[in-house]
Amino acid sequence: MPRVFITGLGLVTSIGNDAATVTRSLRELRHGFEVFPPFQKPEIPVKVIGTIKDFATNSPDPEDWAFPAGYTIKRELLRTMAPNGLFAQCAMLQAVADAKLTEPDISNRHTGLYAASAGSPYLLHHHNDRLNKVGVMRCSPLGIVASIAGTLNFNLIAAFKIQGSSCGFSSACASSAHALGFALDDLKLGRQKRMFVVGAEDGNLDAILPFAGMRTLSLQTDPNLASRPFDAARDGFVGTGGGVALVLETEEEVVRRGVTPYAEVLGWGQASDGWNVAISHPEGSGSAAAMTLALRASGVAPEQVDYVNAHATSTLIGDISEARALRSVFQDAALRPAVSSTKALTGHGLSLAGVMESAFCALAIREGFIPGNAHLTKLDPECAGINILRTTENTPPKIVIKNSSGFGGANVALVFKRVA
Amino acid sequence: MPDAVLSNQGTNKPIPLTNKPFSPEDETALREALKRCSPSAFESAVQFRKTGNAEHVPAVVIGIIERFVEPDLRIKLKDADDDLRLIEDLGIDSLTMMEIVILVEDVLQMTINNDELRNLRTVGDVKTFIDCKIRGLALPKPTKFIPIEHIGAVMPVQPPFLFLNEASVSSTAANGKYRITGQEFFLQGHFKDNPVMPASIMLEALGQLAVLYLLEGAPTEAGKVVSPQSIFFTGCEGVRAHRICKPGDILSLSIKPKRMKMPLATFEGAIRVGQEKAVIAEEITLTFLMVDAANAPVSINGAFEHAGNLSGSAAAPATGVPPLRVAMNATG
Repeated sequence: MPRVFITGLGLVTSIGNDAATVTRSLRELRHGFEVFPPFQKPEIPVKVIGTIKDFATNSPDPEDWAFPAGYTIKRELLRTMAPNGLFAQCAMLQAVADAKLTEPDISNRHTGLYAASAGSPYLLHHHNDRLNKVGVMRCSPLGIVASIAGTLNFNLIAAFKIQGSSCGFSSACASSAHALGFALDDLKLGRQKRMFVVGAEDGNLDAILPFAGMRTLSLQTDPNLASRPFDAARDGFVGTGGGVALVLETEEEVVRRGVTPYAEVLGWGQASDGWNVAISHPEGSGSAAAMTLALRASGVAPEQVDYVNAHATSTLIGDISEARALRSVFQDAALRPAVSSTKALTGHGLSLAGVMESAFCALAIREGFIPGNAHLTKLDPECAGINILRTTENTPPKIVIKNSSGFGGANVALVFKRVA
Repeated sequence: MPDAVLSNQGTNKPIPLTNKPFSPEDETALREALKRCSPSAFESAVQFRKTGNAEHVPAVVIGIIERFVEPDLRIKLKDADDDLRLIEDLGIDSLTMMEIVILVEDVLQMTINNDELRNLRTVGDVKTFIDCKIRGLALPKPTKFIPIEHIGAVMPVQPPFLFLNEASVSSTAANGKYRITGQEFFLQGHFKDNPVMPASIMLEALGQLAVLYLLEGAPTEAGKVVSPQSIFFTGCEGVRAHRICKPGDILSLSIKPKRMKMPLATFEGAIRVGQEKAVIAEEITLTFLMVDAANAPVSINGAFEHAGNLSGSAAAPATGVPPLRVAMNATG
């Protein structure tokens, strides 16, 4: 089976809108949280999100939006996009440039695109509201493709004239990790030569606030304390949006095009908890199984793993489950990998999380560092027994695992390897 | 279509201008709706909403179309030629068309049905359509493509004197094509060892397109149709030939009505070969009569009178062949 490599990436995240800024944020543990103006109402107890800087998407009309001057996006494309589509479009443009792809490289039967976003609750709300107000036949003809789950793939496939495999993935916070895993399969099976994997979320009030009802959001008002994975004082996750795109290519294409990859994608695994619709398995059984399967598929022994970028979102139950899963997979205390959750810096990107954090792993592998677990003051004793990094280490990780878990107890683990 | 009747679709009643006056709130909403359109489009919309005067409508419609056209193509709308095509020239796809329609509906307070939209292909189509809606006139007939079989069936003129291979007709124009095969009987003598399409025949071809327009495109009073047997050539002005046309050339013919008042219809016409001008006719005038649709002959009884036939040659005997047969013969 062909080897598969990450050859390009693009980032629009709360900790930076390009690879250089994101790398610096990861190294220096700079978070992207701000007090979010739409939350500053007495009836909204949540105050902080990971904000996307230099973008303004707080209008249902894309022609009102603002984005950095370097991007040119025609109205024809913009009109069918949700905010997450705009973020992803910009991330895709970065990834295409980063991977040095030409138009013929992108638009052919051997190049596909898998995407993950939750759609746009914001625009769905807006368009349904208009439907009720002005009547069915006066609704925007583009409201559907701009707002339903799938909007991300619809838009990107059309915008980049993708002709290979395309699909949207919907497993909540594991979505884009699933997308990456299945993209890897398509490449390994010879179905495709190149895959874009994209995750994006609006990260606005409508996308984030509904999680408050589940009591999963942090109520912290101080942006510096809001996201604290594995910390005893953590009180929930901090929402964020953005868009991230990865370019995966087979070895043959890497050689043909003469590009330097970030990392090799060795394999992946997935397993489900079979437990609860929203609560992770207390022992992290699905997550542990996913990691074990991923390692097996990659031909890697647990002790070879240098770093695990945890799913840990800073929720009470989830972080403990994952810590237990990690303990069960990496039993030899002396050989345990470094663990950190970069959600301490970015917040939880929901569908975006898996591919965003995979991009972080790619940057860490290429730049030779392991990002620390920020905002960890007092370790939750329940999360003890794993090697949580408190500060960034300047050692290049060779083998890295990326964990993602979603509603329904869906768990994905991806394995990346440094290119020698 | 019982559904259409029930839902009042397809009817074209004048827009009932609301009795309540145009309020400052209406103006604010209108300004918001047209915020990305030119100030003149907004002003025209205000005038229309205040007075109901349909003269303001084209400026509103053009302003709205312009707003949805990519900036680099907007220049084309500056000297808005009615023949400017929405899809081919302005890059407007069917989704953008829906956006335009919804904004037009909102701004002009009217309702446009889906099936009315399909036929709008040019800026002129849109302007005419909206104008008819506003004034409560019968909707113009859509541009329709007429294949050779149908041309043969409806035209009073028949092979070997029919010089149209295909045509499309709307309420404002007709376009057609004719390929000079070299087998035309008159080319044997015109000229000796040098077949050249006679200019008089090219004018004849334009006249035939005008006949087709009268039969298939011209707006008529309700319950009336143009009688095929009533159409004859009366005169032409400003006819110039610019290019020698020979076998193998494809003549692209176009005519547009300039004036039409029974019994006279005057057209301007042009023939091109590719991009080259071949013939210009400033005016071609035909006579015609309208008859009750009920009394109109169901079929055309052969090629008795060659309407639009400049040659004025002796009429061929009526054959009584049913039109379909004629059409089939026409295509060989």
